[in-house]
Amino acid sequence: MNNTGETDSSIGSSEYQVNLDVFQGPLDLLLFLIRKKKIDIHDIPIATITREYLVYLDKKERINLEREAEFLLVAALLIYIKSQMLLPRERLLDDEEDPRQVLVDRLLEYQKIKAACAILRQKEADELPKWKRDVPPPHFMGEELDLTEISLFNLAEAFFILMKKKERENIQIIMGKEYSMEEKMNEIIEFLKENHYLDFTEYFESHTTIEEALVSFFCLLELIKARTVYAIQETLFQTIKVWLRKESRK
Amino acid sequence: MSIQLSNIIESLLFVSAEPLSTEKIKNVLTEYSEQEIEKSIDLILEKYTSHPGGIQIIRTGGGYLFTTRSEHDPWIRRLLRVNRKNKLSSAALETLSTIAYHQPITLAEISAFRGVDATHSLKTLLQKKLVKIVGRKKSPGKPLIYRTSERFLTYFGLDSLKDLPSQEEISKLLEEESDED
Repeated sequence: MNNTGETDSSIGSSEYQVNLDVFQGPLDLLLFLIRKKKIDIHDIPIATITREYLVYLDKKERINLEREAEFLLVAALLIYIKSQMLLPRERLLDDEEDPRQVLVDRLLEYQKIKAACAILRQKEADELPKWKRDVPPPHFMGEELDLTEISLFNLAEAFFILMKKKERENIQIIMGKEYSMEEKMNEIIEFLKENHYLDFTEYFESHTTIEEALVSFFCLLELIKARTVYAIQETLFQTIKVWLRKESRK
Repeated sequence: MSIQLSNIIESLLFVSAEPLSTEKIKNVLTEYSEQEIEKSIDLILEKYTSHPGGIQIIRTGGGYLFTTRSEHDPWIRRLLRVNRKNKLSSAALETLSTIAYHQPITLAEISAFRGVDATHSLKTLLQKKLVKIVGRKKSPGKPLIYRTSERFLTYFGLDSLKDLPSQEEISKLLEEESDED
């Protein structure tokens, strides 16, 4: 936005200034300031750190609420802590909690996560050049296989891709028909008994309306939940197939 | 005898795209004793370390997996026409690290740890299948609960979650960092 890369005289130092955008969030910025000022994290001078922190926020001429709201939230927390420290206490107890403790705990935990990130980043760099076999195992038809069942996330993903496709087709049919879950569920089970399995993509493509597809999808989820059927993906990027569980196949 | 067995195991490793655990090998090779199998696995590992070739066996995600050697990466990428493999974004890595250390965890909890909203990076991680949904928390709003996946372990070459950077490693790194200043 504005000259964030330049030295700001209001800080009165020759230290380099960094754009707010490089920080992962308010805690990241706070840790940076604490390190820069060589401050003991367990004994943060709240007034100093708040001033430094606000200088960074001031550099933004306009606040983009989407991104900077979180920075403002921590600024408010800093000011709150300062006010708590200024307020005279009725009684001073030894075990009274330092108002800064909440912030210190969060910073310590965040610092730990950041450090772990640095180590994981190195591990990632070590692992990325090692190529693994991603050839899908051959699949056999007919028999129930020991394949990994797919997660709800895969299923929903596949469903939304299909719906997007439908949207593009721009169907303009007004249908007054109402679909009952019960009917649909029986329909799916009958279909499975007859056809052995159901091809997720094909099945939903045969639906004419979004409503029907939605009802069918909920039915399918319901059946999976009831453990009547299970959904598997035989190979990567292949269509998802739904099978009737053995015990439900009478 | 044991040479033949180790050859069988080697072929099992070859067809496995996921880490193959000792348990799984034992389940398949029922006609062999557990000790024989363990000895044969050691034999293969020994073979691959003493005679390094283009392929190596790594220990990850609770099992063994064939991978290429890192130093061959430039030629493999040329063959497959891949410029470079994408690294995780800083935000995604931070979110992933938060989940790894605090799982099972909800989106609100992740965001609280990071001080920023983690919705977007969580979505990326789900798409990359590095994290998975394991259920819903029995609290108001029934938020989804997340955990790291098996792929997470393989991605970072970890054998199990116990291999995450330890408190000592982290403290050491933090000390080094403050010494730099």
